Amino acid sequence: MRLETRKLLDRAFSGTGVIAIGVMALALVVILAPIIGKGTGAFVFRSTIEHRKVMFDQWGRGTPERVEADKAPAAAARQPVYDMLAAFAAELDEMPRADRRPYKTPVRDLEKALEELFGPAPGQRTPVLIRQQYGATRWDRTKIKLGELLFTEQWDYSNPDALGVLVKTPRSEQFKETSLEPLFDYVDENIEAIMRPRLTFYWQFLFDTSKDSHIFGGIGPEVLGTLYLTLGAMIFAIPMGVIAAIYLCEYAREGRVVSFLRICISTLAGVPSIVFGLFGLAFFLNTIHISDSKSVLAGSLTLSLLILPTVIRASEEAILAVPKAYKEAALSLGAGRWHTVLTVILPAALPGILTGVVISMGRAAGETAPIIFTAAVSVGRPLLPMQTLSQPTPALPWNIYNLCTEHEAVDEIRHVQYGMVFTLVALVLLLNVFAIVMRARISKKLRG
Amino acid sequence: MLENSSTIQKRSLVMSKSTSRWRQLWAALGQGFLFSVTSLSTLTVFFIFYFIAKDAFPFFKLEGFKEFFTSTHWYPSGHPAEFGAMSIFFGTGLVTLGAVVVAVPLGVAAAVCLSDVLPFNVRQIVKPVIEILAAIPSVAYGFFALVVFAPLLQNNGGAVLSIGAWLILAPILALLVVVLSDLIADRCPDAARKVVRWGCGLALGAAALTGMILLGNHLRGIEIISGANALNVSIILGIMALPTVVSVSEDALQACGRELREGSYALGATRAETIVKTVLPASVSGILAAVILGVMRAIGETMVVWMASGNAARIPEPWFNMLQPVRTLTATIAGDMGEADHVTGSARFHVLFAMAFCLLTFSFVMNLASEAIVRRSRKKLGK
Amino acid sequence: MNAEIKMKQATRFAGQKENVLSRRAHVKAEDFSVFYGNFEAVKQVRCEFAEGLVTSMIGPSGCGKSTLLRAINRMNDLIPSCRAGGTMTFDGEDIYRKDIDVVSLRMRVGMVFQKPNVFPKSIYDNIAYGPRLQGISNRNQLDGIVESSLKQAAIWDEVKDRLNTNALGMSGGQQQRLCLARALAVKPEILLMDEPTSALDPKATAKIEDLIGQLRGQYTIIIVTHNMQQAARVSDLTAFMYEGTLVEFGETRQIFTRPQQKQTEDYITGRFG
Repeated sequence: MRLETRKLLDRAFSGTGVIAIGVMALALVVILAPIIGKGTGAFVFRSTIEHRKVMFDQWGRGTPERVEADKAPAAAARQPVYDMLAAFAAELDEMPRADRRPYKTPVRDLEKALEELFGPAPGQRTPVLIRQQYGATRWDRTKIKLGELLFTEQWDYSNPDALGVLVKTPRSEQFKETSLEPLFDYVDENIEAIMRPRLTFYWQFLFDTSKDSHIFGGIGPEVLGTLYLTLGAMIFAIPMGVIAAIYLCEYAREGRVVSFLRICISTLAGVPSIVFGLFGLAFFLNTIHISDSKSVLAGSLTLSLLILPTVIRASEEAILAVPKAYKEAALSLGAGRWHTVLTVILPAALPGILTGVVISMGRAAGETAPIIFTAAVSVGRPLLPMQTLSQPTPALPWNIYNLCTEHEAVDEIRHVQYGMVFTLVALVLLLNVFAIVMRARISKKLRG
Repeated sequence: MLENSSTIQKRSLVMSKSTSRWRQLWAALGQGFLFSVTSLSTLTVFFIFYFIAKDAFPFFKLEGFKEFFTSTHWYPSGHPAEFGAMSIFFGTGLVTLGAVVVAVPLGVAAAVCLSDVLPFNVRQIVKPVIEILAAIPSVAYGFFALVVFAPLLQNNGGAVLSIGAWLILAPILALLVVVLSDLIADRCPDAARKVVRWGCGLALGAAALTGMILLGNHLRGIEIISGANALNVSIILGIMALPTVVSVSEDALQACGRELREGSYALGATRAETIVKTVLPASVSGILAAVILGVMRAIGETMVVWMASGNAARIPEPWFNMLQPVRTLTATIAGDMGEADHVTGSARFHVLFAMAFCLLTFSFVMNLASEAIVRRSRKKLGK
Repeated sequence: MNAEIKMKQATRFAGQKENVLSRRAHVKAEDFSVFYGNFEAVKQVRCEFAEGLVTSMIGPSGCGKSTLLRAINRMNDLIPSCRAGGTMTFDGEDIYRKDIDVVSLRMRVGMVFQKPNVFPKSIYDNIAYGPRLQGISNRNQLDGIVESSLKQAAIWDEVKDRLNTNALGMSGGQQQRLCLARALAVKPEILLMDEPTSALDPKATAKIEDLIGQLRGQYTIIIVTHNMQQAARVSDLTAFMYEGTLVEFGETRQIFTRPQQKQTEDYITGRFG
């Protein structure tokens, strides 16, 4: 081969590596961008008058006077719509029965679309479900609902060779030359006056309970549940892990027993997370009956087993990184072995151990599979600390799954799903960034 | 000072018998305590094996082995119930294979780049990227696969596939054309060499380009029925397995040392030749261990496959069709337990433990294999 | 330590009558410096390595002799934060110019390292590594190169029956001679040796030294050594470096008998270092 070709290959080779790294970074950006971009939308968004009504009615936020002042112009702007509907009802009454019939379904559809956008019409009986008591609370949802009001959608399957095609037709065509025809243009043009969008920072999203299965409100119980599970897992895993690491590094003599223990640890690290979940179910719940049903306690124990190998390894590494000289100095001053471990080795290894602990905390917070059968429920109230011993809890990872696959109105609550994912990812990333920074400081210190 | 020191009684070097006995007792007790905590936490793995096996055993007693491993009829709630899990095993295998195809080339290339190409300060920036990729919870990956990636595949599948094929194949083919024409030209007499090189290059290049265009058009015509399919899951699982593959193989590459690299460079090898001919062969076992760990990560993953694989318990037609939905062991366990939990004791409940037992055994064997490989390679390199 | 005794040993190879300083300079350093970050490891060195002769570089650890040696085939490029200043010419070309091809340079400047770094491959593949890079794939041709290189390194008789066994199974001394053979297989013009015997026992060391004597004349050899007797035994010219600067450079006999500089005298008589 020519030297030039060899060099071309060399450059291509380096290029491939750089591209691989680029792809990796790109994957990170592509995955995080929608989560962060849309996730922040759960906190900061343009809220409509309906959102402010919900906040006032359900959580008592805002003063009655201000909410009234907010509501009045919106109600005034909506009035012409209801007037037009009333006028059309009168027009229908005058029509012969045969002419009336084709309008029956379209009018019902129209009223339903309007209800989804504005909430129930004034004077109507208050519906049972909270979700029916309010219109679109967010400006982005408003625009989608407005589209559904203005256009009807049908699937066209006329071409058998291709997939169905979505056809949109203006709803106003159904009401040509009636008193309802101007309604559509009116709503389209005055939608801002009707809904009064305003930029809102809904930070309470993080702490509010949810109403009507997450259609309104925040993710408070899930956040709290995740914190309980994570802290619970750490309470069990840290002492066990650190003690095991101390034993393995400082006391155990290398031999059959220790290498056997090490194989056990690495096997434990390789067990699939769903198997931990099954084990938690079979052992903690079905065998020793640690609680009557799923509970935070059972979930924490299961999670702690999952992160135990990580904690052990991180602690071992941190302990081994402590310079031998420290230990020898302590021993030469007449300190006992145990004393040396407690006063010299552990303090020196503490930052390193903490780094590992923080990383495994992130892992525990984000794991879903182990808590499905042991701790998580879809809907629940925030628990008091004592209740964690016997009661299950909603938790961020499980509810993300639940909301985006099993919820009855998946598309309506995308913002809540994104908000949850964002919160979880932010929590985990914060923990990791903390660990990365801490490790950088440790290595700087060790380098002198 | 002098007076003081003379008054201090010298410590006796010999302990009294009782002190000595107490000391020994305490030391033994302390060590025993440490040992028992350590064993307790490490022997959990046996608890796990025992309890999974205990609940898996009744299934095999009730239904036997044959149907479970050889039939593709999975109707656990039917009358009579059928527990043929072969398609589920197949789905697991297919998705894992797909993840390996994504993760291994990318991961090894990235590891090589990290250990041998990038300067130190760039490496310091890239490392956290890998750590963050590893830290993102699996449910967030699953959410991305289901809510962002699946609709994209479903609506613009053909375009995505053809762009992907172009991006991957075009550079590879271009390089191949250059190298091939160069190799052919090498065998020609000096005078004709330049002409042959250009001729071959142009001819091969034209052939490659035509092939690419045909392939691109073919892919563009494909319509994907469901975005929740094996391809989607494989790509996401591949990305999830990447950090493991990268960091373990980077360790392996680093472990073979600077001396080896210098030896090769000093003989006039380029970086690519040094890595391909000396470093990679010397660290092949470490990279194999990385691949195994990546496989374990992909095979044990639950949330992504549960959310975005489509969960259809059948073998795709033809079997390598990644664009059809599949179902995996982990997703089946997670998904069916919700219903099976009410019928504790039935075959339907125990079959999930049987699946978990298969997973557990597999990961145990893989883990032992990777440990053995790493240990042997360390011995071989004399470290 | 008696300089006189060492001198007698030095004359074994270096005792020729010709004026060694009049030979053509194969490698030439002019105000050449090497920096690690801000630390100047080699300070504005100015010297010439004559063609076909053996030059040894001595000096206490950390004096920059290895760094200077590794600068000759640009091995230092592999170390991040390392950069060079001034000029280093090889055959009249400044090797630190932008358009210099490092790969070709390294094919012409062979190197043997401190620790024997054989590849974990068979003995045959180790030797054939370099020739294969240059595109030699003809088996007969390769066989010839492997045989002649192994013979040149005086190891042929020991390994000819097990060419296909892994090279890691050889003893340290054999491995080092294999490394030498591997470097020779590329047919370099210069051989750089970075303390080639520091990891070997006296017997293996003697073999390597004999080899250097046999290769003298065919190759320009530059050897870094810790061992002053070795320098005196094998080299025609000796350079003494101290803290990055080239203190003294001259005929080995003269350096060991009549050092011009006080520091050189202190070092060779064992007062420091």
